[in-house]
Amino acid sequence: MGIRFIWLVLCLVSPILAARPISYSGGSTLMAFTERAKHSVYYHYSPTYQYSLGVEGVRNRISGDEHSYVRLTYLLNRKNTQHSQRNLYLQSGIDPVDLDHHFYGVHGDWETRRLFSGFGYKYVNDQGSDYEEQFVQLGVAPYLGNYGDLHTWLMLKSKKNTLFGSWSTYPVIRLFKGNVFAEFGYSDRSQWDAHLMYRF
Amino acid sequence: MTQLMTLILLFATSCFALADEKSAHAMHEADVFIDGSAIDIDSDQLERFTADLQGGQVAVVSVMGMVCDFCARGIEKTFKRDKSVIKVDVDLAKGKVLIAFASTAPIDREAIDRKILANGQNVTAVQILSI
Repeated sequence: MGIRFIWLVLCLVSPILAARPISYSGGSTLMAFTERAKHSVYYHYSPTYQYSLGVEGVRNRISGDEHSYVRLTYLLNRKNTQHSQRNLYLQSGIDPVDLDHHFYGVHGDWETRRLFSGFGYKYVNDQGSDYEEQFVQLGVAPYLGNYGDLHTWLMLKSKKNTLFGSWSTYPVIRLFKGNVFAEFGYSDRSQWDAHLMYRF
Repeated sequence: MTQLMTLILLFATSCFALADEKSAHAMHEADVFIDGSAIDIDSDQLERFTADLQGGQVAVVSVMGMVCDFCARGIEKTFKRDKSVIKVDVDLAKGKVLIAFASTAPIDREAIDRKILANGQNVTAVQILSI
């Protein structure tokens, strides 16, 4: 039960998943994420647009272990221009019950209305089975929707988890409308990669 | 092979979309003036936005970094908490936020700056249109 059940419920009741780790000031975000290595549900609150505090429940699909993390994400740098935005975030989390379980990392993105690029690195201390996750992601919007429309991104994602070895590259589709965001990718090696988000 | 096909698909889609964008811009381009100064805004959208307004003012706010619908949601939510605001709309293509105020009292431009910044974007200009 636990994480898997909650994740399934979220998938049923929340038609979206999202990517941004910090919301606007006073905003909350609920996320669900699944991939070959783990299932996760994550809630965060942003006191300001510069950082968010949250809790995340993770079920390791390899070991079957479940952990809850207290998470902090900090916007290290943001550059706004007329037609683009660039962000660099630091992220960290620790299991308050078992301090040996923690992680830290960095990720960044640059996007215009047409193009997207992002990368991330995360080191996870998992009590003996430590691992690293890295990814790069490139995308293009096939059409430019207006405010309130369904927005679509076609993307390529390359990901490496040191538990599984080499890099895996696969297509990803990102959809969002209103406060709901969903991202799905699939490859033979990585299997399903899904990320849902609801912001409120 | 799959990766190559995906790359070709992404490139082709992008080219088609760029062509669509140019023609869409040409269709909606029209001059809108505030206090004798032309502002870069979709005249059709402004007309729809002001159609049901009975007096008051509209602030046309130019915003940097508002590149996606998801990013702009917080702006709308923040301004809608203000009781003096009737409604809010966003023009992503032009990077504008339209805010309708019920009153003709002077608009606090610094408050607008603060609210946009609270969402993580920056204001470059605020122009006021009387209805």
